[in-house]
Amino acid sequence: MSTLLRASDLAKKPVVTFGGEDVAQIKDIVYGANGGRVEAFTLAGRGLFAGPLKTALPWPAVVGLGPDAVIVESEAVFVPRDEVLASAAASSGGAGVGDVLGSEVLTDQGTALGRVRDVVIGILPGEQAEADVVGYEIDPAETLNRGQQTLLIPLPDTISASGTHLMVPASATQFLTDNMEGFGNAVDAFRRQLHEGAV
Amino acid sequence: MLFTEGRGRKVVSTSSARQLGLVDGYVVDFSEQRVVALALSRTEGKARYLRWSDITAFGVDAVTVPADDVLLDSDPVLDDLHNKHHAILGKRVLTTHGVEVGTAQDVDLDPATGRLTALLTPADQIPGDRVLGAGSYAVVVRG
Repeated sequence: MSTLLRASDLAKKPVVTFGGEDVAQIKDIVYGANGGRVEAFTLAGRGLFAGPLKTALPWPAVVGLGPDAVIVESEAVFVPRDEVLASAAASSGGAGVGDVLGSEVLTDQGTALGRVRDVVIGILPGEQAEADVVGYEIDPAETLNRGQQTLLIPLPDTISASGTHLMVPASATQFLTDNMEGFGNAVDAFRRQLHEGAV
Repeated sequence: MLFTEGRGRKVVSTSSARQLGLVDGYVVDFSEQRVVALALSRTEGKARYLRWSDITAFGVDAVTVPADDVLLDSDPVLDDLHNKHHAILGKRVLTTHGVEVGTAQDVDLDPATGRLTALLTPADQIPGDRVLGAGSYAVVVRG
């Protein structure tokens, strides 16, 4: 499907303009739509003693996001950070989705799968690409009998999250994998199954 | 012609046959992907630049100019473009996909027009019209 990235890999990535200046670096990811989508990035200054910036980078202004940098046209695309945080909260119905890390993943059948360790973001190719939250990397619950190694769990298009719990359909457990390479296919297969089930 | 080949070439006036200086660097306007002036060394007095439009020919042995007085002292636009932050050579090259594709080793330019024809990295030749800009962090090319 798309390029997959761990949210933790994005932190501290330089934000570089067409003019070749590293004007900021990624601080945090601002999720919207109940944690289902990347809305924006908060920013920090570059350099050893630089602190957080009062501006943020909205996702639609990102030209490219790769292993080495986030590319933007210029600094002019930055917007006030508070505006971004307010609009993200509004799109999530005001629910506390600030930090999903550490939240417990529960199936709709009431089984705990584990705790969120990282967020997997899928970027669809093309213009106006969305950055979708496609899965979580979890520290598996002992009851799962899958050992200590972290697992990747695919997510449906829309997510139900409260800040302490994240609900996933029980069928997601069929697609648990420890392999990032095959995870894109697992997400596609899982979502296809959900859509077909709904028809 | 490569940036590194042209560096050190003498600048000679065709009217007086005097050597006015040496080519020290290139002032690039990335909005046009073109060399707009040469930065000079070993000039008499304070002259620093030679506008591309004032060049008679960028020859293999010398850059010729029509008169001794075409050199410029300082120019706010050129000073800004010639700032070392905008130098190309030695910088990392990033694509607009956010991928680093090597280090800028050299630039090929058309000696007739000053247009950048290619950016050279150890592994690749990137067409000049894909170069978007060069700043303190990187040279950015359209990916």
